Amino acid sequence: MTLIRWKPTHELAHWPSDLWNMQREINRVSDSFMQGGTQDDGSLALSMWTPAVDIVERENEYEVKVELPGVSKDDVKITLESNVLTIRGEKKQEREEKGENTHRVERSYGSFQRSFTLPTIVKRDKIDACYSDGVLAIILPKAEEAKPKQIEVKVK
Amino acid sequence: MAKKNEVALIRRGETALVRRADPKEELITAVCDIFEMPDAFVVKLDMPGSSKEGVSVTVESDILTVRGMVKSLHRETVSMLMREIVALSYYRVFNLGKGLNADRTQAEFEDGVLTLTIPKADNYKERRISIS
Repeated sequence: MTLIRWKPTHELAHWPSDLWNMQREINRVSDSFMQGGTQDDGSLALSMWTPAVDIVERENEYEVKVELPGVSKDDVKITLESNVLTIRGEKKQEREEKGENTHRVERSYGSFQRSFTLPTIVKRDKIDACYSDGVLAIILPKAEEAKPKQIEVKVK
Repeated sequence: MAKKNEVALIRRGETALVRRADPKEELITAVCDIFEMPDAFVVKLDMPGSSKEGVSVTVESDILTVRGMVKSLHRETVSMLMREIVALSYYRVFNLGKGLNADRTQAEFEDGVLTLTIPKADNYKERRISIS
């Protein structure tokens, strides 16, 4: 039997690379969560930008307003799955916007996606959307059972 | 030269300034893209919620000012479940410098985007000189 001198640093030798890989994996997962939502097939989608949204609740309806300047109406898709409203689309760059002589680019391009869970049930077949002056407005009427009701109390 | 809140855009010795809105005022700096065409500069500004009637473009000597009023947002007394849209009005100033024909600026407003086409002065246009 031979005596092997214990070297504490020996065991640690494998640590840095393992930790490094783990850190990288965590960063990768958290980055993809931060940047995108999920696609229909469950895969993570990358969102290039996040349009600003206002949601208003009225007695009989919800109104969702989304700032989408320069986005074509045909490039926006609105879906409602159970109570989750999803707005996704793409802002395409025009030919001149890809030109070589670009001096300044501050506007956002690319795909976007936003999802919201509505607090009550809405009438799926009465949802109305209109796009004007760069703002998409979606009206979602509340379902009858979700509307506030007044119950008369009879006093005997 | 560029002061505070101004960004210089230098091209062939000319200075074009892009001034941002004063953060103290209730103005939003409209974000813009600037492209150079052979005979004009094209400026595109995002001004969602504004309208053709609400946008004004003024030129004073070589200072071009863009303003845009936003139509009544949800100023009603309703419950807001989410509030991210902050713009009340948009503002942006461009110092065009020499070489641009600002008086012949064309403006278009579509889908919340204001497109300004500022023609270059004739003697500033790119000219190809043929080699004999």
